[in-house]
Amino acid sequence: MTDSMLWVLLVGTVTLASPLILAAMGGYVSERGGIVNIALEGKMLAACAATSLVGFATRNAWLALGCGAAAAVLLAWTHWLLTQRFRVDAVVSGMALNALAFGATNFFDKRFTDPTHIGDMPRLPLGAYQALAFLLPLALAYAVGRTRAGVRLLASGSDPDKARQMGVEPIVVRFWAQTVTGVFCGVAGAMIVTNAGRFVDNMTAGRGFIALAALILGGWRPIPVALACLFFGFAEALQLVLQGTDLLGAKIPVEFWQSLPYLATILALAGFAGKSRAPAGLGKV
Amino acid sequence: MSTIAGGPARRNRPWRLEAALADRRVQVAAVAAAALLLVLGAFALSGVPPREALRELAVGAFGSKGAWAGTLRETTPLLIAGLSVFVALRAGLFNIGVEGQLVVGAMASVAVCLAMSGPAGVLLGTLAGVAAGALWALPAALIKAYRNGHEVITTIMLNGVANYLSTALVAGPLKDPAQQSPTTRLLDAGTRIPDLYASPPFRVSLGLVVGLVLVAATAWWLRRTVAGFELRATGANPKAARFAGVNTRRVTLGALVASGAIGGLAGAVQALAYEGRFYAGFSPGYGFDSLGVAILAGASPFGLVPSALAFGALAKGSTSIQILGVPKGLSYVILGLLIVVFAVVRYRREAARD
Repeated sequence: MTDSMLWVLLVGTVTLASPLILAAMGGYVSERGGIVNIALEGKMLAACAATSLVGFATRNAWLALGCGAAAAVLLAWTHWLLTQRFRVDAVVSGMALNALAFGATNFFDKRFTDPTHIGDMPRLPLGAYQALAFLLPLALAYAVGRTRAGVRLLASGSDPDKARQMGVEPIVVRFWAQTVTGVFCGVAGAMIVTNAGRFVDNMTAGRGFIALAALILGGWRPIPVALACLFFGFAEALQLVLQGTDLLGAKIPVEFWQSLPYLATILALAGFAGKSRAPAGLGKV
Repeated sequence: MSTIAGGPARRNRPWRLEAALADRRVQVAAVAAAALLLVLGAFALSGVPPREALRELAVGAFGSKGAWAGTLRETTPLLIAGLSVFVALRAGLFNIGVEGQLVVGAMASVAVCLAMSGPAGVLLGTLAGVAAGALWALPAALIKAYRNGHEVITTIMLNGVANYLSTALVAGPLKDPAQQSPTTRLLDAGTRIPDLYASPPFRVSLGLVVGLVLVAATAWWLRRTVAGFELRATGANPKAARFAGVNTRRVTLGALVASGAIGGLAGAVQALAYEGRFYAGFSPGYGFDSLGVAILAGASPFGLVPSALAFGALAKGSTSIQILGVPKGLSYVILGLLIVVFAVVRYRREAARD
């Protein structure tokens, strides 16, 4: 392997891990607050579509990012309403929102994208997203145990009944937690579409679930979770670098390399999941 | 329900949004109305008058004998794959991996039938599909039972691997050299799951009947056997089941593998009864749809029949409204909304029992 390939691998890892980290931090806030969230995928996808559509329509990168985040927050609030008010099973709600996001993004993309509209989407620099992705876990690791809001979040997710006795309203805390989750996933989606250039159907390709796997592997702690995301980002970058190369003289189909990140996730869960370190009150009302 | 005790008292209080939202009937009505509005709004956004779109949807699904045949064809994989999700769901597991299990099941069945024609090939091919589906669920089952790794994540990862694996095989060793696109050779007419009744354009495949029989058998199994009871007990309350002496680890393992086997069968039936070949992109999203089918079915396997029919009709009818210019994503929007509305209704039922 040459130096330039190593460089590509390094840059690729950082770029591909960043949206995973952002989404996983969203999942961290949601699940530490006590709400299981398998709709990270749908939120990112909704943000991808909104960012792309608004970006092309208004040529304003900040407005596009804001709308991407807003779309994800809208889904996050729906998740809050369904699970907390209507007591719908969080996995059912999450799958419904994923289906909704998949369908709605296809619908709006087909309906409102001008096919003659070529050219570049207005973009914010990728470096800004990367910096955010690497600072966020540090900030969360520092703040969640120390600030008032962070302690309330942990209380709501660890034991909602005791939290209530201490005067914390878990349902209110969780509303704000879902809002934050929406914003983080929204930024993650905006980064994915910024990197890709324009919206494509199902462009998140399971990254929301890989972020969830990282959340489990990292034991619901920000910095280990971010490291797990880096590992998955590395697997994805490796796939890109190794595509088309031969292994021991045999021709390897490109699909093998493409399934590498998924295989890595399965193997990681098989090897390390072991003892569950999930928040004690996860899923409790 | 609090209608007798709480009803009059609530009426005396001044109307507040909070109080109104606490009434479950208001909740259900509000969610259903919002869902309906979203769908009608989506039609309007596509430039199709909602009434015309709904009529087109109904005519496309049930308007003629051919439409009925198409709806039943769409219903078959949804019914069997829905049963696959349902079995896991009864054990408290979310098998999102039906998509992958169906794809490897279809591929395995076609691969066997390519090598061996005739009824014996069909039988062996179907069994191969079942085995492939079960095998594809096995890693998720083992990780869930022994490592407590969430099955939603592992099965979705396995879907990705199944997708790439099948694409690689159908572009390589299984590819029909005479074709440009990655697809296998078409199986000859004798190597198919036969129609039970055919007077064109109407036809009913044996595959659909297999699905119906399997649904009835599952209902019996869940109700009348010890294993079925243990599965339901594990799903209802794993801790209580464990204290009562149920080996919940074995139940988890068995339920996910059985679910995978049924998912593989769904793929085999779809390939051998209808498609007659395997190709890249075989499943247009049966995994997602069957999850909706199973959730809408409620507590009894017999609920799968109307629920699969509804999704089958939606799938068949939505091809007609696509011609009117409504993007196909709309059917997923409807699917998601249906699940949301039904989940809210079901909550109401469960809360009412307290």
